[in-house]
Amino acid sequence: MKGFATRAVYGDSKGKDPYGALRMPVYDGVAFAHEDSASLAQTFAGRKPAYVYTRLANPTVQDFEQRLQSLSGGLAVLALSSGMAAISNTIMTLAEAGTNIVTTKKLFGNTLSLLTKTFEPWGLSVRYVSMLDLCALDRAIDEGTRAVFLESMSNPQLEVADCAKIAAITAKHGVPLVVDNTLLTPYLFDSKKAGVNIEVLSTTKYISGGATSVGGAIIDNGNFDWRCSPKLAGGAERFGSMAFMATLRQEVFRNFGACLAPHNAYLQSLGLETLSLRVDRSCDNALVLARFLAEHPQVAAVNYPGLPEAGSHAVARQQFGARFGGLLTFDLADEEDCHAFMDSLRIIRRATNLNDNKSLILHPWSTIYAEYRPEERLAAGVRPTMLRLSVGIEDGDDLSEDLERGFNHHA
Amino acid sequence: MQLMVNGKAEIVEGDNISVADLLAFKQVESPDMVSVQRNGKIVDRQRYAEQALAEGDEIEFLYFMGGGARR
Repeated sequence: MKGFATRAVYGDSKGKDPYGALRMPVYDGVAFAHEDSASLAQTFAGRKPAYVYTRLANPTVQDFEQRLQSLSGGLAVLALSSGMAAISNTIMTLAEAGTNIVTTKKLFGNTLSLLTKTFEPWGLSVRYVSMLDLCALDRAIDEGTRAVFLESMSNPQLEVADCAKIAAITAKHGVPLVVDNTLLTPYLFDSKKAGVNIEVLSTTKYISGGATSVGGAIIDNGNFDWRCSPKLAGGAERFGSMAFMATLRQEVFRNFGACLAPHNAYLQSLGLETLSLRVDRSCDNALVLARFLAEHPQVAAVNYPGLPEAGSHAVARQQFGARFGGLLTFDLADEEDCHAFMDSLRIIRRATNLNDNKSLILHPWSTIYAEYRPEERLAAGVRPTMLRLSVGIEDGDDLSEDLERGFNHHA
Repeated sequence: MQLMVNGKAEIVEGDNISVADLLAFKQVESPDMVSVQRNGKIVDRQRYAEQALAEGDEIEFLYFMGGGARR
């Protein structure tokens, strides 16, 4: 099976259900019994591959991991309880107090908060550069750097950095490149092909199939020599290319307990089956709406990487091909206009999620970035006049009509 | 050749058996997810194909999955 959609439907299951069920059942239990004491002891000792406890591994969760592995082409996948769990577990596996992470301020607000408010007080240094300034990135990496982190398309700034060029720099330094690929998913952006080493995802978004459940995933693309990582060098001798995943599973993930619930894994496997259909539709709608907004006299500015006039368009086209995700932002005259506009909409929902089947609108300044001072918000590319629109899979005409309603009512 | 594999005596036919051969013989489905200990020492994964086993070796396959079989 070569095609993405075919692999998404059939997965990569190596076994057969005893009853011939075409869909992996939900093993919605906690513990797995063993025939005898020796079997349990052998499993705990690592001598026998078997399930013992759902926080560590579960058949339904593993089925989802194997499906995602097949779709991404990665070496190994770990599913977690959320996208934030995927990011935090990855950083805790790679870095430690006294080391540093190089990143950008063009990040999802909670990710920025995780780095600055959670990790920095524990002794992790966070260095911020523009990912569009490759020389600055090159200078920021030193012997204490344990990872470079960015988003393949940043939320909500929609900045698109050239991942292949960044990967060349991180490879030169022997530092792993970690990319949050939530807004594109492996369907639109093959992070492995670009040289990214670790991909993290909030599977709550496109993958869950329409905001059915919260989840996250870590994909090791299998293209980093973990002997170069001071923290994982010992594990590399023992586990080779699996050193990152082994440390993650045996230490950080096991001990922090951010496991994906089996029922959520079931929903997300279901979501994977229709991923390409939904992403295509969402992207097509987003491009239509971006053009509509770009021509509207009440719109001060539109940012959508799919528009040829967007600054990110050339890199986005090169990296992602013909589709550019379902997220766009646009600016109105002032903040008051933004709130009035949102309140006039009837189809598009006022909500903080994105890449749902439903179109959702948000005022980032007063919500996902509200915890930051105004100058910090502006530095992160978030303006009081900006609205973020996550475009769903509805009929495009209904969405543009709803936007027009917003303009008519708030004017 | 007689070996002790995960605490059990095993007879493996043939000469010049390597760690990689033993993984294949034991039909380990996901060799990536197992590390191998020979007489108490971890075998470097890069050397699985060239690491020859000897009569009476004690071999441990150690899975890192923390529970969870590859179906």
